[in-house]
Amino acid sequence: MIKIQKINSVIEASSLCVDINTPPILKTLNFQVKKGEVYALLGGNGAGKSTTLKTFLGFNIPTSGNAKIDDQEVTEALDTTREKCAYLPESATLYPHLTARENIEYFLSLANIRKSQDDINQAFQKVALQQDAWDRHMQTYSKGMRQKTAIALALLREAPIFLLDEPTSGLDPVAIDEFNHLVRELALSGATILMVTHDVYGACQVADRIGLLRNGELVGEFDAPENGRIDTEEVHRAFAQKESA
Amino acid sequence: MNYMFAQLIREWRFMLTQKYILVLLLCTLVISGFSVWSGLREINQQEQTIQRLLQADEQDRSETQAKYSDPGYLAYYSFHLTYSPPSAIAFAALGERDIYPWKHRVRMLALEGQIYESDGQNAELAQTGKIDFVFVLSALAPLLIILLFHDLYASERASGRHDLLVTTAKSGLALWGARAGVRFITVILCLMLPFYIGTWISGSSLDSVLQVSVWSILYLLFWTLLSIWWGKNASSAPRVASGLIGFWVLFAFIIPILGDLAIQKAVHSPKGGDILLTQREAVNDAWDLPKETTMDAFTATHPKWKNHVAMESMFEWKWYYAFQQVGDQKAESLSQAYRQAAHQKYDLSGYISLISPPLLLQRQLTRVANTDALAAFAYEQQIRDFHKRLREFYYPPLFKGLNLGRSQLAIMPRYKPEAHKTKNTSTTPQLH
Repeated sequence: MIKIQKINSVIEASSLCVDINTPPILKTLNFQVKKGEVYALLGGNGAGKSTTLKTFLGFNIPTSGNAKIDDQEVTEALDTTREKCAYLPESATLYPHLTARENIEYFLSLANIRKSQDDINQAFQKVALQQDAWDRHMQTYSKGMRQKTAIALALLREAPIFLLDEPTSGLDPVAIDEFNHLVRELALSGATILMVTHDVYGACQVADRIGLLRNGELVGEFDAPENGRIDTEEVHRAFAQKESA
Repeated sequence: MNYMFAQLIREWRFMLTQKYILVLLLCTLVISGFSVWSGLREINQQEQTIQRLLQADEQDRSETQAKYSDPGYLAYYSFHLTYSPPSAIAFAALGERDIYPWKHRVRMLALEGQIYESDGQNAELAQTGKIDFVFVLSALAPLLIILLFHDLYASERASGRHDLLVTTAKSGLALWGARAGVRFITVILCLMLPFYIGTWISGSSLDSVLQVSVWSILYLLFWTLLSIWWGKNASSAPRVASGLIGFWVLFAFIIPILGDLAIQKAVHSPKGGDILLTQREAVNDAWDLPKETTMDAFTATHPKWKNHVAMESMFEWKWYYAFQQVGDQKAESLSQAYRQAAHQKYDLSGYISLISPPLLLQRQLTRVANTDALAAFAYEQQIRDFHKRLREFYYPPLFKGLNLGRSQLAIMPRYKPEAHKTKNTSTTPQLH
């Protein structure tokens, strides 16, 4: 069972505008992710997906509007909001001269979290990282194995919110299925998940809601039917249409 | 407090896993150790030389005194060793001791020539330089700091770890503060540990050790903060390193060189050779001048002997030593100008050092070690004072035509160097 801190966590972007260059990267972006929900922001290159995620992580300062985590403005409570989030970068390059276990221990120590070796082993099992790799230097790891290690770290942090940047990038189909299953399990445990991706199929497999992002604006939203998944064909069509517009 | 300590421990363990940092720190320890050993060896050699010369000087003077009783001969053949002993902490900053002479054997002849006769060869000595602790600290340590800190942020950004690290860490201080702190403390330990062992061996005063420590730590802190600040928002470690090396070249070479050129251009000074030549020409010319001319010039500054200058033969020692003194008097204005220019250059270089931290550190540490130009000027003045005492000792028998008896020889002036505060003789607490 995945353990999650109990909070009424939501992610909220209201009239969010981020202006790093001209034209602005995010223009009046509005969306909300409820507790226990998986929200996928889908968009092509340069749509503003990573910028959105980095704004919620506090790396970008909004020009106007709000980026809130658990009702707190990110820029006003940076340490608190970061503490509630487990971030999974697109290319999770941990320290190659350390083993997966040493990396996990180092990062947990950074977060001031104490975990037993059993907890770490369970997390490795949960992400299906093969046992003979746990104490091997990560320089021998494939991209998928590195990604699994980073997911294990995110799980061990027991954060109520997960911010995932292209989480299945570099994973093989089996690992993608395992990951999707894990994300669903997390959501069932009460975690709030915001993931950004350009993988239409993957997003439809795992998300409760999908937001289509184009040129920094939300141009469409899709909700999963009760006890069902979002229709891939429909999203694909809309995505292609918006991208070619 | 416990939390921060835990962060430091974590970063300490993490640093131990990075081989290139360990190699770098080991190199730092070795270089610092070598500089301290080399400085201690140099100072030890200087002290041994002084001891050897003191014995030889004593023996030489005893033999001369046994051979002659005439004050003229005695003054002519008696050499007196003057020297500037190194302070206990001089091993760390040899400073100007390889440029300005720290020992002279002087006679009662014209003095200025004796002081400046080595001026020509010292310029060549200065070029060779010595690897002392202050050199390692001022010139090499910045490079080590740059190597250790230039990629603090950039390497994490380039490898894609930065955002994960920042969002995982409890606070920026827990991550960057602890990481930079551990590296800073370790580099200080590697640099300063050999120095502290050196101060223990040499018996340096606590006061001087504290002063050197404070200046050194401030200097290393400057380079650390500069390296961190310069690399804070960068993602390319080589670009950060290039920029920082640019700062190093600017502060350690360009500013001091340009400053030196500007000072040389602004302050004109006679050469030591000019003083030597002027004084020797004055002495040589005196042989052909009427004796009254010499004696008049002498009594103008020494009116006490006005009634004792009459001569009964072609050569008398009092006339010989009078024209030696007149030789010094003729070189006096040049010597004054030389010293004034040297002081002026020293003062101006102080202003230059305000915009060159390596120069400022060298200046402060050589001051603490009493090995700077001011120490050399003070030693020159001590020689002049001693020579004056020697003349005052010899003039009465020379001008009154008396021989020197044993009792008078016993009170002949002896050169005693002025004690410096960083020597073992200091009243400040000792390290051992």
